[in-house]
Amino acid sequence: MRPPIRVLPQEVASQIAAGEVVERPASVVKELVENALDAGATQVSVEVVEGGRRLIRVADDGCGIPEDEVELAFQRHATSKIADTFDLEAIGTLGFRGEALPSIAAVAQVTMVTRTQDAATGTYLRLAPASGGKVARERRACSSGTSVAVSDLFHHVPARLKFLRSPTTENGHIAHLVTQFVFAYPQVRFTLKVDGRTLIQSSGSGDLREAVAAAYQWEVAQSLLAIEKDPRQEDSRLPSGVVVSGLVSPPALSRGGRSYMSFFVNGRWVQSRMLSYALEEAYQGFLLSGKHPIAILLIGLPHREVDVNVHPTKAEVRFVHEREVFGAVNGAARRTLAILAPVPQMTRVAAPVPSGEGLPLALGSGEGVLVSPVISPPSSSLPVLRVLGQVANTYIIAEGPQGMYLIDQHTAHERVLYHKLRTQLAGRGVERQGLLEPLTVEVTSRQEELLQVHGELLFQYGFEVDHFGGRNYLVRSVPALLSVKGDTAQVLQRFLDELADEKEPGDWAQKVAISLACHTAVRAGDTLTLSEMRALVQDLEATDQPRTCPHGRPTMIYLSQSQLEREFGRR
Amino acid sequence: MRVSCLQENLSKGLGVVGRAVAGKTTLPMINNVLLSIDQSRLKLSATNLEIAITCWIGAKVEEEGAIAIPARLLSEFVNSLPNERIDMNLSPRQRVLGLRCARFEARINGMDAEDFPPIPMIDEASIISLDPVGLRSAITQVVFAAATDDTRPVLTGVHFRLEGNQATLATADGFRLAIRKLSLATPVAEKMEVIIPARSLSELNRLLGDETEPVQLAISAAKNQVLFRLKNVVMVSQLIQGTFPNYNQLVPQSYQSRAVVTVSDFQRASRTASIFARDGSGIIRIQVTPGGELSPGRMAISARAEEYGDNTGEIDATVDGEGAKIAFNSTYLMDVLGVIDEEEVALETTSPSSPGVLRPVGSESYLHVVMPMFVQW
Repeated sequence: MRPPIRVLPQEVASQIAAGEVVERPASVVKELVENALDAGATQVSVEVVEGGRRLIRVADDGCGIPEDEVELAFQRHATSKIADTFDLEAIGTLGFRGEALPSIAAVAQVTMVTRTQDAATGTYLRLAPASGGKVARERRACSSGTSVAVSDLFHHVPARLKFLRSPTTENGHIAHLVTQFVFAYPQVRFTLKVDGRTLIQSSGSGDLREAVAAAYQWEVAQSLLAIEKDPRQEDSRLPSGVVVSGLVSPPALSRGGRSYMSFFVNGRWVQSRMLSYALEEAYQGFLLSGKHPIAILLIGLPHREVDVNVHPTKAEVRFVHEREVFGAVNGAARRTLAILAPVPQMTRVAAPVPSGEGLPLALGSGEGVLVSPVISPPSSSLPVLRVLGQVANTYIIAEGPQGMYLIDQHTAHERVLYHKLRTQLAGRGVERQGLLEPLTVEVTSRQEELLQVHGELLFQYGFEVDHFGGRNYLVRSVPALLSVKGDTAQVLQRFLDELADEKEPGDWAQKVAISLACHTAVRAGDTLTLSEMRALVQDLEATDQPRTCPHGRPTMIYLSQSQLEREFGRR
Repeated sequence: MRVSCLQENLSKGLGVVGRAVAGKTTLPMINNVLLSIDQSRLKLSATNLEIAITCWIGAKVEEEGAIAIPARLLSEFVNSLPNERIDMNLSPRQRVLGLRCARFEARINGMDAEDFPPIPMIDEASIISLDPVGLRSAITQVVFAAATDDTRPVLTGVHFRLEGNQATLATADGFRLAIRKLSLATPVAEKMEVIIPARSLSELNRLLGDETEPVQLAISAAKNQVLFRLKNVVMVSQLIQGTFPNYNQLVPQSYQSRAVVTVSDFQRASRTASIFARDGSGIIRIQVTPGGELSPGRMAISARAEEYGDNTGEIDATVDGEGAKIAFNSTYLMDVLGVIDEEEVALETTSPSSPGVLRPVGSESYLHVVMPMFVQW
């Protein structure tokens, strides 16, 4: 017999709802600290015992809750943070759902002590789910602010209790979380105590670098690079109004995991693959594979441009103009790396290549500072360049009508190959060169999966690969552009590896083209003859975006005639 | 050491061994040329550790001795001297070579000859004699098809097989295969196979110049070195270790279409097409049409550059079999057409995606296989 449909009892419903918000002790800490911050606290202390199972206490010096509203705070969908649906469209506070306290109270014993600034005495309230709600309430003397203690978490929810990890793991999650708050609110003094030991103690000075020093090491904080302002920000704001600030690691500093990349959207810590990708993409070519940057990126944008009401714990957000955000983050990191990364000393000389019409940007700004070239309009063509020679087997020196150009042979060739591949694909398909004797390539299981999923795409790009048994594949043809260079098997392997690492969805056809261009282009360190350099520069002139490689790195830097004259004191 | 010789001879000799002097090296010694006396001739030796060249020049020897002298300095100095007698003088236990020629004098600081790397010696018991003209043309016809990158080291060499009264030279680089047979005056006792670096054979070709006397070839017992003895020059090269792919199975056994064309016409049409092919991936398209009852067969050679335009050249062809379409990399095509000595060449094809074979008409000794490019027609 089927049991009849009925409305669930209140406790069951609230336990289910609580499950979405309170997943593990760290979620409790998150909700409580957010409340503290929304209350305008300047000091927040977090205390955890036994991984949060025994006790979580969050105390702040915020505005407190008036005596007559204390009970209300524990009612579902009760909040002071928003009033109507209009507010929902532009949420400025961390919380707004009115679910945190009731959810916590549904799965744990909660004790709250709170006092507003102007009240003479505070309120003490004790709730326990086992006894169906309020256990005790009295007036009590206390300092202004709110202190919430949560004990016996999940005591009555055995299913949850079972899935809690060891206290060490849970402590790790909590510490990671508090670290993020330290970064997002450097003006707030945070203390994290775990089993009586102080793990994190931030100064609350408002300086992000100090906050980083409190959470990571001092050396790390010192060597991080501050995000450079967008040069375009001044005159023309991005349409979506995205402002990116924060700190990123120089190429020499990296970590083996992605957990050192923190993103904050309007002060809210978010986890977003899109943002991670935007950042890591900028590091392309700077870091070895498997290495990830350290970053604390604060992304500011108008509240209406971002929807935080996507996820119960608000860890995910949705951007109205996702591409602009991507571009802003990527551009910010790129710019910072280009300017600040301690790479070859180009102290005062180089200026960006003039983009399109008009004069180079840096000319106006007096002393030429190496500013990464602005993405140029598609039609911008290069002046006719005369190749003079090669520096360090990496850069081609060329002379143009108005000065000197230094061209990075690898990125330039990448752009040329990418252009050719795309043109060929758009035309009659990529030209393939048959192999006299099929080449046997043994692939890893990840590479194999890629071959199966994207085999058709690889074929379009000129790789005809047949299964040969086991993990062995036969390569029957290669892209004609590749046939000039020898190491086919290795290029294919590296190329598959790179694609296998690619987790972000997106335009695979473009990814394949970029990767192929990258792996077949001449490398830094390859000696080129004068005629090879000439051919490369000519080919580069023929591409539609000669100033950047498909990854977005500059292909050239420009030193104008007038800058040269200034440097030599002729003017 | 006290020795005199003619400036012309010394200059020539230094030019010959200079090919083996290392360019850039961390071992300063091998930037030198070793001067020594061997059976009343002046012996010049140089090595870059991959090849070693020794050259003997006629001289009047008054006192024996040996010294290593910076190769470039010596040869530039000698080249600038008038064509007269050069007297060289090295005092015992000293490392300064004195040179005197007409009214010029020089002293060049050398290094101890003892420190010069030993020039490999090969027991020349089993010597094979080769015709220099044939060897030269054989090397020219195969050496360009050797691989230039080191991914598969064996492919950077020329496979040299001696069997019966025939020598077979073969190279392959993954996209093409060149095979040249050479008959021997005297059959070899036992079958031998070695892989000689293509670079060494290119050098040998230069040394062969207009040599007319037979070239002697010897392979070391350990099968790691090969020696070529010319009239006054000996070149020793390291061999590449490994197994050369069995290339015979890569040669198509049949064809659907065979077009015989004049090499010079084919070459001109290809060169014209390659101008347009340059912008793409160097693709040259070949279309063979069999002749009708009244019209002769034709071969059309075309190329197009996506943004600039296209061209087509047509040449007469004697076609056996069906018509054919095939596309080649212009470089590969021009390379092979450039080394065919005969007047006519046959292009044998089976399909647009199977290898094309080029054979000079009237000679069974050369064969070239090229993998086509796969294109949309």
